[in-house]
Formats: sequence, C-alpha cells, structure tokens
Amino acid sequence: MKSFNMACLFFTAAFLTQTGWADVPMKSWGKPSLQGNWDYRTVTPFQRPAAFADQEFLTPEEVDEFETAVRNGRAARDAREFDGQASQSDVDVGYNSFYLDQGTTMTSTMRTSQLIYPENGRLPPMKAAAREAGAYFRALQSRSPQGPEDRNLFDRCILGFNAGPPMRSGAYNNMMSLVQTEDYIVIQTEMVNDHRIIPTDGGEALPSDMRLWKGDSRGEWEGDTFVVTTTNFTYLSRFNGTGENMTLTERFTRLDEDRLEYEYTVDDPESFEDKWTAVVEMKATDADLFEYACHEGNYAMPLMLSGARKQEAAGIEDDTWLPSWSR
Amino acid sequence: MKRQQNLIKPILLSALVIGLVSCSVEVETDSAPSSLPTTETAAPTIAAAAPDLNGIWQALGSASWNLEGHAASKTPVTDVLGALAGIPAGMSVVEGGTIPYLPAALEQRNANREDWTNLDPVAKCYIPGIPRLTYIPFPLQIFQTESRVFIAYEFGGNSRTIHMNRPGTEAPIPSWMGYSLGHWEGNTLVVDVSSQMADTWFDSAGNFHSGALQVEERYTPVGESHLLYEATITDPEVFSRPWKIRMPLYRRVEEDARILEYKCVEFAEDLLYDHLRQGYEGPRNLDGTTRSATDDPSDL
Repeated sequence: MKSFNMACLFFTAAFLTQTGWADVPMKSWGKPSLQGNWDYRTVTPFQRPAAFADQEFLTPEEVDEFETAVRNGRAARDAREFDGQASQSDVDVGYNSFYLDQGTTMTSTMRTSQLIYPENGRLPPMKAAAREAGAYFRALQSRSPQGPEDRNLFDRCILGFNAGPPMRSGAYNNMMSLVQTEDYIVIQTEMVNDHRIIPTDGGEALPSDMRLWKGDSRGEWEGDTFVVTTTNFTYLSRFNGTGENMTLTERFTRLDEDRLEYEYTVDDPESFEDKWTAVVEMKATDADLFEYACHEGNYAMPLMLSGARKQEAAGIEDDTWLPSWSR
Repeated sequence: MKRQQNLIKPILLSALVIGLVSCSVEVETDSAPSSLPTTETAAPTIAAAAPDLNGIWQALGSASWNLEGHAASKTPVTDVLGALAGIPAGMSVVEGGTIPYLPAALEQRNANREDWTNLDPVAKCYIPGIPRLTYIPFPLQIFQTESRVFIAYEFGGNSRTIHMNRPGTEAPIPSWMGYSLGHWEGNTLVVDVSSQMADTWFDSAGNFHSGALQVEERYTPVGESHLLYEATITDPEVFSRPWKIRMPLYRRVEEDARILEYKCVEFAEDLLYDHLRQGYEGPRNLDGTTRSATDDPSDL
C-alpha cells in the first residue's frame, strides 16, 4: 500500500509539472525561472544505509524518526570524548558543532539515500586504477606536507569540498545562487566563493588538453529541465574518487516556488564499474550568500607547513596528518 | 533565522580551513524553516528602458599597476622573465591627474610603494575589491536581470551581485567585494559599493583606502562595443575630497570569447609559502635551479 501511495504521489507531481499546473515561475522567453538562492543542506545520506537495504522511500513517520535520530546522534557526539584526550567542545577534529551547518531535515524526495542509481543506492565498485589513485592521495595527505601542493584542493582554497561540480551537502556553506539570462545560467557557490558560467545553447567544447579545476560546463534545455554537461577536469579535481575523464551531467528542474530538483550522473568508466546518479531537492531561500574568502583567511596552510618543517628539524616522521575523524 | 545566527561563522570559518576530504559528519545545528519564500519570481530579464550591458568586457591599459601617470619600469623578476616582466607605461586615469591624499595618508602610500612587492594584496591572490577588479587586465562578464546584475570576473574566480531592488539596505558585515546596490539613471547603471574591507589596494603602486571607502560606479554604454566606466572614490579618512577615475571597457568581440579560469591561488602559493617548503634554499629560476646572489656571472 505504501509503495502504491508513493508512486501515486510522484506520478501526480510529475503530471502537474509537465502540464504547467504546478506553481513554477517562468521567464519571459518561455523557460522556467531557476534564478534565486538555493539551500542544499540535507541529512539524507549520500549512500543508502544498510538498515534500509531494499527500501527506496520513507514514510513521513520514518522521516521524522530519521531526523530525530540524527539530532540525537549529534547530541551524543557533542558529549563524546575524542582520542581519549579532548571533548567535542574542543576543536580536536578541526571543528566542533558550532562550525557545522548541515541542516536537520531530509531532502523532500523522502528517499533513503541521495544516490538513486545503482538501484541499491550504493556506489558501484571502483576500478583498480582508481583505488590506487585514491590510496596515493590518501598517503600524500597523511604525511607531513613538503609544500602546499601536498594538501588537497580544499585545503588550498582552490575548490570547495561541497561546491563541486557536482554540489553535495557537506559541513557548511551549503548554498548556491543561480543567475539566469536567456543565453547563460551562472552557478555561484558560497563555498570558496566561486562561479560557473554555463551557456544555454551548448556552446563550443574546449579542446581536451585545456583542463580546468571545475571542468568545462555546457548547457541546454531539455523541455523544462536545464541539463549541464561538464568535462575537461584536472586530475586533482576529484569527486568521490573520480578522475580527470569523468563526464558529469547535472539536471536542474524547478518543481514549484520552493523546490529545485538537482540530479546528477557521474560517468567515469576509468574509475567506476558503472555510472551513478544522485538526486536532491534544493530549497529556495531569501538568505544572501556570504563571501567565503577562503584563501584570504587561510592561516591553516602556513601553520601546517611551518609545523611540518618544525617536525623535520626535530627528526620526527609523522604520517598522521589526516584529521582524526577521517582516519 | 538560522542565517542571522550564523553571521560570525563565515569569518571564523575562513580562518579555519582544515582538510575535509568528505564532510558528511553529523553534528547538531539549528533547524531550518521547512518552507521558505522564494527570492525571485517570473520577470522579464531586463527592464524595458534599461540598456543591455550583457557581454564580456575588459579594460586595456596599465591602471592596475598605477592609476596615476607612470613611465615604464622594472619588476623584481626581470632577471627571470626579462622583457616580459616590465611594467608598461600608462597615462593617469585619475581626473586631474593625481589622487588627493591627506598628508599622513600620502606618506603611507609612499611607504606602501617602497615595499609593494611584499604588500600588494593582489600579488597574494587576495580578492582585489572594487574598483580594481574592473581594470585588472582580465575579462569580466556582465549578466543582467531585473532584480540583480551579476558580474563574473576571470581573475581569481571572483564575482559580485549588484542588487537592483533593495535600495537603502546595508551589508551585515564588511567583505572584500563589499555590498553593491544598483539603479538606472537614464542609460547609466549606477552602483553604490559600501562595506569593503580596508585591506584592498587600488593598484600595485600602493594607492590605498580605509574601511570608510565608498565607491560610486557608473557604467554607460558608448556604442555597441564600449562602456564608459567611471568610479568616484570617497574616503574622508584618506583623501581630502572625493576623486574620480574613468576609462573605457572594451567588448571582447571574438566569437569564442569566454571567461576562463585564473585560479590565482596556485601562483600565489610560491610567493606566500616557498620559504616553508621542504628543502627551501632560496628563490628559484624557471628551470628549477636556485637563484643566488653569489652565482658566478662567468658561468652564464
């Protein structure tokens, strides 16, 4: 009965959207308005937790239950001791709860995971080369850094860990803004203060030897959905283990006044045995984006490097540079 | 509201960049409103009477080196890059020729100029602020909608929103790019920029301002392919009166013109962190050899 109700709900939503009955603001040139500020905080797990095994959707009661469990889990974490030395009220792991802003609600898809393909809501297996690359970068970031390039792009303030592409809810600054003209849609991410300019007519692809940190994004409308294809990443622009030859396809669909569906597919046959697809519904917000001046305030980088030099001078070899929560 | 409670966080977070490979840890935060009003609804892109400023634009000239008139000169890296590393000459873009400093501020400007290679915030890849981002020698792209004009700058991946529909409002906190409120006066887009940090310079020649800086920008189309850019600088803590710069912005007319990435961090890292690298022995040549004052010139 439950699955029937869910199917019915989604069919109805799809019908309303397709026929323009839903409350979707339109631009004067006949395309849905995507412009505005969007909040993509969510507690919906990226991959489906084992507890939900074959369950794709939750009931409203189960959503409540899950959100309560997340809140309780956070409270417990706040009170927990880390490394047997410091409490979570200290900044032992880089951040305590004061700094984190991940939302408290599941995404309105009511799904058990952001991943919707493969059908089990779990990432497909990685290929051997990609596992090796992952191990290399993990080892690099475990050792005391020889220079700034040893740290990842997020530590260097070159990319934002949740700003993508693709965008995925992370520790904080889960906000982005879309600016829309007939010819372009611009994505401005709050995290690391960055933007992507996407032509709506597909544009000309860059030659494959021109690699960009955020890749080369080109867009087109498929009906009322704006579809963005991004290629030409650098080998350092890694998203969950992807490599430089990933093709990323993002689909933006405005569902109504308050919701923007954001679906993306990662196609990286060099790194994964299969494609994978995730979906969330972003929420419209009146809040402005703040200027996340990451590099300007990056006191951590010189401190890490001088700490590493100090260890060297003392003859200390240290391979524990991963933050304690990720070990 | 959640966002208001968090005003202080962006500042603190900026100072605490730690390696978050994946940030899916779960920790308590305040709850967000379940249904938030949307920011913008359907509207024509551009007000009927407003000119169309959409496009890719770029300043020519060497104002970002020095707003005032200057002859060509050396940078400290001519020994590595030769003629590529000279500063081109330029006529003053300041109305009247010189910037009207208060006496103490002029001394500060001159001290800045003495040590500009260590002090110019843009050399460190810090956000250049307004007006410098306009005439830094990289393109910018204007996206014009009724409620906001968005400018994307190639340099550093910076950008700003010019709000067209909220006159009289103020920024909650200062920022490197400040807070921009726009309106149309005839064919001219007028932008009032406030709340900029005191840390930016106008150029590499030490010309500076305080946190009291107010900038009024004016973008006026002059034919299909030019904008006249004017900026009036008001800062009573540094200048004896408001002063004005003006220059054309040229439309990038190439069919394939586009804003690319100039993520300046990777270039500034050498300047900022070289001395903290493992095995640092001093500045290096492009071929990786160490540059040393004691090098024997007869080896060359």
